[in-house]
Amino acid sequence: MSVPDYMQCAEDHQTLLVVVQPVGIVPEENFFRIYKRISTVSQINVRDSQRVLYIRYRHHYPPENNEWGDFQTHRKVVGLIIITDCSSAKDWPQTFEKFHLQKEIYGPTLYDSRLFVFGLQGEVAEQPRTDVAFYPSYDECETVEKRIEDFIESLFIVLESKRLDRATDKSGDKIPLLCVPFEKKDFVGLDTDSRHYKKRCQGRMRKHVGDLCLQAGMLQDSLVHYHMAVELLRSVNDFLWLGAALEGLCSASVIYHYPGGTGGKAGARRAQGSSLPAEAGNRHRPGALTSNGINADTSAEIGRAKNCLGPEDIIDKYKEAISYYSKYKNAGVIELEACVKAVRVLAIQKKSMEASEFLQNAVYINLRQLSEEEKIQRYSILSELYERIGFHRKSAFFKRVAAMQCVAPSISEPGWRACYKLLLETLPGYSLSLDPKDFSKGTHKGWAAVQMRLLHELVYASRRMGNPALSVRHLSFLLQTMLDFLSDQEKKDVTQSLENYTSKCPGTMEFITLPEGLRLPPVPFTKLPIVRSVKLLNLPISLRPQKMKSLLGQNMSAKSPFIYSPIIAHNRGEERSKKIDFQWVQGDVCEVQLMVYNPMPFELRVENMGLLTTGVEFESLPAALSLPAESGLYPVTLVGVPQNTGQITINGYHTSVFGVFSDCILDNLPGLKTNGCAVEVIPALPRLQISTSLPRSAHTLQPSSGDEISTSVSVQLYNGETQQLVIKLENIGTEPLEKLEVTAKTVNSKEKLYGEFLSWKLEDTLSQFPLKPGKIATFNVNIKVKLDFSCQENLLQDLSDDGISISGLPLSSPFRQIVKPRVDSKPINPTESGKVGDFSHVKTLEAILNFKYSGGPGHADGYYRNLSLGLHVEVEPSVFFTHVSTLPATSTRQCHLLLDVFNSTEHELTVSAKNNEDLVLHAGECQRMAIQVDKFNFESFPDSPGERIQFANPKQLEEERQQAKGLEINSKLDFSLTLIYPSLKREGEASVEGVLNQLVLEHLQLAPLQWGDSQLRKVVLNSCILDCQFISTEYENLLQRNQNKPAVHLPHAGLLYLEKTEN
Amino acid sequence: MAVCIAVIAKENYPLYIRSIPTENELKFHYTVHTSLDVVDEKISAMGKALVDQRELYLGLLYPTEDYKVYGYVTNSKVKFVMVVDSSNTALRDNEIRSMFRKLHNSYTDVMCNPFYNPGDCIHSRAFDNMVTSMMMQVC
Repeated sequence: MSVPDYMQCAEDHQTLLVVVQPVGIVPEENFFRIYKRISTVSQINVRDSQRVLYIRYRHHYPPENNEWGDFQTHRKVVGLIIITDCSSAKDWPQTFEKFHLQKEIYGPTLYDSRLFVFGLQGEVAEQPRTDVAFYPSYDECETVEKRIEDFIESLFIVLESKRLDRATDKSGDKIPLLCVPFEKKDFVGLDTDSRHYKKRCQGRMRKHVGDLCLQAGMLQDSLVHYHMAVELLRSVNDFLWLGAALEGLCSASVIYHYPGGTGGKAGARRAQGSSLPAEAGNRHRPGALTSNGINADTSAEIGRAKNCLGPEDIIDKYKEAISYYSKYKNAGVIELEACVKAVRVLAIQKKSMEASEFLQNAVYINLRQLSEEEKIQRYSILSELYERIGFHRKSAFFKRVAAMQCVAPSISEPGWRACYKLLLETLPGYSLSLDPKDFSKGTHKGWAAVQMRLLHELVYASRRMGNPALSVRHLSFLLQTMLDFLSDQEKKDVTQSLENYTSKCPGTMEFITLPEGLRLPPVPFTKLPIVRSVKLLNLPISLRPQKMKSLLGQNMSAKSPFIYSPIIAHNRGEERSKKIDFQWVQGDVCEVQLMVYNPMPFELRVENMGLLTTGVEFESLPAALSLPAESGLYPVTLVGVPQNTGQITINGYHTSVFGVFSDCILDNLPGLKTNGCAVEVIPALPRLQISTSLPRSAHTLQPSSGDEISTSVSVQLYNGETQQLVIKLENIGTEPLEKLEVTAKTVNSKEKLYGEFLSWKLEDTLSQFPLKPGKIATFNVNIKVKLDFSCQENLLQDLSDDGISISGLPLSSPFRQIVKPRVDSKPINPTESGKVGDFSHVKTLEAILNFKYSGGPGHADGYYRNLSLGLHVEVEPSVFFTHVSTLPATSTRQCHLLLDVFNSTEHELTVSAKNNEDLVLHAGECQRMAIQVDKFNFESFPDSPGERIQFANPKQLEEERQQAKGLEINSKLDFSLTLIYPSLKREGEASVEGVLNQLVLEHLQLAPLQWGDSQLRKVVLNSCILDCQFISTEYENLLQRNQNKPAVHLPHAGLLYLEKTEN
Repeated sequence: MAVCIAVIAKENYPLYIRSIPTENELKFHYTVHTSLDVVDEKISAMGKALVDQRELYLGLLYPTEDYKVYGYVTNSKVKFVMVVDSSNTALRDNEIRSMFRKLHNSYTDVMCNPFYNPGDCIHSRAFDNMVTSMMMQVC
């Protein structure tokens, strides 16, 4: 007895063993078809009684196990069914011969046998034989089951006769000694007449009868017999058989207590006769088993409850039996099987601790040298039993050992496939699932060292199985989930082997379905690299779409009835699905910025990194990057082009690392920061590119109020110069440019600017519209810089003092009063002081030209784009009017304006005024020129209205007035100086409005009263409305120097001196 | 005297595991891991008993050929597992008990550290030293 049957369970003690075997050439498929049909007849209600016979079928049974049949009768082959294929009558005798040969093998123990012949027809088949059945083919054998039933009944008859024979035998004088194979030689020469020997014979026979009773379905009888056998054998210290009797007792009790069976797998078999065991199972009903047949000589009815062992006792008795078995080395298989049976019982009783002790014992039972296959079987069954008692970890451990055994180096043909299959089964025991999603939540918690080992083994096994895709998947999983536990060296090794594998078979995002039905989910490398934040970027300012009419109400959508609620602001759940408040444009390159870092101790090459989107067709432009070892956060920009409009959602990104393609979904990434993933894509808009005739400026304008300048150009001009700026507008997009609006804004204009700085005619450009893609339109802007030409601080000496000189006079004009404090603050404010007075100081003017343009479908949706051009003008001083004075001309309506002109440039300069001859000024030269001008009237000189003063800055107000005045003066004076720079071939214009101070202005002004005709001395009041008080006082001041002048007294206005004119 | 000492969290993952023959660490991982089956079983069996009178010491979990595995479970279901060389017969149950008590006290100190997050692996040097001392003690 050397081959243990690990599948045994206690109920098997009541079964009859029938071997079904093929003889000759029987196709395996056909044999098992018949075998299956035969196996269905596993339970027979014997004809004239209520007893049930259970049959155990085997298609393989080692004959040496059969030799233990006397020891435990369920090990005895009592029936043999031979299935054979015989096509012609010629072969028939030969076939029949084979049947007899086969019978010889199990000969001594067989009760009966049958031969099933398939394929034979005709004469031979006609003869009626009880032990042979003929069937024309494997498909036409409806009577197989019936035949089997008959066969079993015949078995029963033999069994019953044997039982009765043996049961009554005890009265006879000689009881044969039953013994197991290894005992035989021990009893040679033993005194057969001793009491001791007789008792031993009796005890063994009792036990045997008990076995037979159990098989014959007489449970109660068997119990009684077993009890008696135990008593007899104990008294003679026949331990092996005592053990067997105890085990028999246990088996019978188990069958009584657990009619559902302990084998687990046998559930289906029992179910057929469930009505009976279910009833029998209720042990509180004493009458339950009364119908169980011939009660013979036992007084079972009375002793029933006593005879049957209680659940606790069963285990005790099993323990005892096993301890007896263990005394015999040759009974190792019996002991092992008893352990297994006991464990199954304990599993049902849910006594895991005791069961584990039995199993622990079973582990140490040393059988002879086991073959590798038997070892595998042994470990597998241990694993299964541990599983059954709920020791999943232990079960996994043994399963893994079994798996390793499959590929032990001593095996010539390692079973990698079996090994892999077993390893997969160990996964739950190590609480390892192959779904990376289970690991994404928080930190990994588990037996990392053990799990890593298992994964390595899976990788190796799958590689040896010749399934590289599988090993890549497992290796990726190992790398992804165990990254925190891998040492630097291990990380290197794992990635290296991963790269080796992927060179043959790249990792994909597909599920891998195993033949066993397990589906391996894909493993995206979300940790290679680790992404910390995802940020959708707005388009650059120049390309950002803007809504034509900004409907304020639209932004504040009707999500909430509250205008403001702090609860919404703090609702983090919404954050991810939140829509972003900017738009992307169809056909334009859009960017998403990721902050990534590389956790590996070496450089990480990430290839083919792109975005995964839904909602809108999106052409992703993949990037490749290389991250240095253990880099800090590293920005990566992924780009793509939306191909149509709608709402686009960024779901994740895809990468290819170490040859493994991964799709990483943002929702699965822990600790990710994002500003939202959904953004609106609006229809395509044209794109405008600007190039100008001027050089680009290195100087950047300070962005004011959120304007950002895409390009800025600079130009250097002399004060008063005018230059034309040619702007080329090119449509570099794909949509026609239909609309264009241009606005200009001057920034930080601390300088006083006279005249229009920038002027253009848009109509010329618009005539070239709509601008087809790739076409260029031109747009001209005139830049005119006219700053103050005055020399406020009067640093240069006056050339002469003819006429009425006003420079340096402490005047009480309001302008002066305002300016004065600024001058005083000179040392405190150096920038301003630089501006004032220093001639060589270059002044700057800055302006922004805004091009609002639109076209194509985007225009139809009401979007436009804004392109800004920064203009940086450096104004170099040209000429200064260092001194201004007037001389009366011959007519009272005219006067001479004397200007001291100073050339502060380094070039020769020609100054020409109307009607005057050109004045040539060399660099640094100062000359006086006299220009005859018409005097004029001030009209509607803006008074300081009372209400405005209250809230307007007086300084502003003053400047406003000055400006208005300057304009008016300029228009009235109607002259300008043309500045020509012959060497530079540039020219400009100078004007005097800024330099004329109050006193000069008064000289230029037409007198409020004119002598219409000197003879009539008629006073003509000027048409304009005058402030009489003001005039009177001013004139008083002015004329006090000419005392001999007549005066007119105006009512309410004081004195007005009148001067008699010559003509 | 102990060859391996492990602290296992309530959810049955290791918080701390150290063994002396470091070259075969994995073996002890397996030993401790499989011993959890027995620990679980013992705890569930104890669950029926009165909670107050529960004995924290679980006793011998199972013997192997070379080692004996002992277990201890705190009231918060944190498990201590100690593997002892089975040749060391001088080690009585009482000594094992007191070793576990020491371990428990040290673990309590670790938990008292405000910078320690329950559920994280134990990196405390004091705890480490204590474990070392328990492993080094020669009997």
